Amino acid sequence: MTGAPAVQFRNIVKAYGAKRALDGLDLALEKGKVTALLGPNGAGKTTAVSLMLHLTKPTSGEVTVDGLAPGRKELKERIGAMLQDTAAPDGLTVRETLQLFRSYYRNPLALDRLLQIAGLDKEKNRRAASLSGGQKRRLAFAVALAGDPDMIVLDEPTVGMDVESRSRFWEVVRALASSGRTILLTTHYLEEADAVADRIVVIAQGRLVADGTPDELKASMPMRSLSFKARRMPAEQELLALPGVQEARVSGAFAHLKTKDTDALLGLLLGSDWGVSDLQIQSASLESVFRQLTETNNGKEKESDQ
Amino acid sequence: MRGFKAQFTAECIRIARSPFFMLFSVLMPLAFYSLFTMLNGADAKIGDVSWGGYSLMSMTAFSLIGTAAGQFGIRLSHERKDGLTRLLRLTPLSTGAWVLAKLVSHLLIHAAIIAVMFVFSALVFGTEMPAGTWVMCGLWLLIGSVPFLALGILIGTIKSTDIATAVSNVVYMGISVAGGLWMPLSSFPGWMQKAGEWLPSHAYADGAWSLLEGQPAIAGNLLLLLSYGIGFLMLSAWILNGREAG
Repeated sequence: MTGAPAVQFRNIVKAYGAKRALDGLDLALEKGKVTALLGPNGAGKTTAVSLMLHLTKPTSGEVTVDGLAPGRKELKERIGAMLQDTAAPDGLTVRETLQLFRSYYRNPLALDRLLQIAGLDKEKNRRAASLSGGQKRRLAFAVALAGDPDMIVLDEPTVGMDVESRSRFWEVVRALASSGRTILLTTHYLEEADAVADRIVVIAQGRLVADGTPDELKASMPMRSLSFKARRMPAEQELLALPGVQEARVSGAFAHLKTKDTDALLGLLLGSDWGVSDLQIQSASLESVFRQLTETNNGKEKESDQ
Repeated sequence: MRGFKAQFTAECIRIARSPFFMLFSVLMPLAFYSLFTMLNGADAKIGDVSWGGYSLMSMTAFSLIGTAAGQFGIRLSHERKDGLTRLLRLTPLSTGAWVLAKLVSHLLIHAAIIAVMFVFSALVFGTEMPAGTWVMCGLWLLIGSVPFLALGILIGTIKSTDIATAVSNVVYMGISVAGGLWMPLSSFPGWMQKAGEWLPSHAYADGAWSLLEGQPAIAGNLLLLLSYGIGFLMLSAWILNGREAG
């Protein structure tokens, strides 16, 4: 970790009536890194974002942004945010909307740059309200960047974006990250988090359940899958009898195994007389790690309820 | 105050570009003014004043009530629903600058409406009055529109934009008719006259009528309007605070 954390959540509880959206969240976000906050719906992602943006206050615990209480004006100059379900002001064109938001900040990004980021240069004189769903999201992104923020918060940014908008969007996010900006994004698109984030924080039921780089999270997944072709394919029972194999399935010329210890298994397979070829080892997809983590957590919750 | 100028300009553009603005703030009041004035005759007397002047005050007041309470309220409700209010809280724009931009932009648009109505009346129906009376009536209508902006804030607290639109239309039409803006209160049954006199719409128009008559009844009407304005603001603050806490 370099220097003081950009954002710090200390033992945050946020209760809405009897429901706890966040239930003792401890989290520190590093400066200059892209952190993805992952979790199923209702996990508390948006609540966490709202707290650091001062849109809501914690029931207990403390949030600080650069050591300051959220909502300070000097922080507002430096934080840009893209929230969910936000429309542009009606009656204004794309250009007028961006100019309006630029006027709020001391050192705004150039209008041309914002139009380019949004990919809306051709649409700049169109009413913002008449844009397509994907274009509106891109405009919202440009609005978030109007003040040239060094901290960027993106709450489910790609929801409603088409494929083209999405890839363009991640390109810009990567460029912003490489220029040293701190980025926090929430998403439930795991492949996106995998591709763009330096660090993934998984929360479920308002608690942190996993935290690490995408590779670390994948490595923490115990099961790996291994597949191979065989000239003389053994029966599934035979494969299951191999040491460490948890699951075995034969389909066509291929056998698919799941195991904890691929190294030991490799030696056995290559030493066998099955004529093994086309060996492939895959670590668990992030998707399955994620599912396992959040399901385990849900399971615990259900048990404790009973 | 940075951001105020841009916010003010944007608010003016948004009001003027609203499809409701042309129709409900300009065309409809002009059409009804023309209709009533032609039916009654511009020179017909109501009390000591000509119908052409009397109805001008009524219909200008009607237009401004619709603009200030109705369209302003509906826009606020939309801004809340669209997440714009939330988004603005994240920017360095101060709440004070935002409120002031809304207020001043509305006052400018209101002044323009007054000018259009007055010029139309003078040109088309040959309405005549001393220059001072034109100015005083115009100023009264402008200042008196402020409490209706407070009513707009109250309507703007309604979460559903559909309900806000419906409430706004019922309220602004209702208080306009019941306040004697469409036909004089004297044509109503006694109990409706008594109730109508206490409506902010009546106090608003009555101030302008009294200026026409040359017997200004400003203080009482202003006090009533002010009380309503403060009441609307307090009620809005109570609703919004309750929501924040919940």
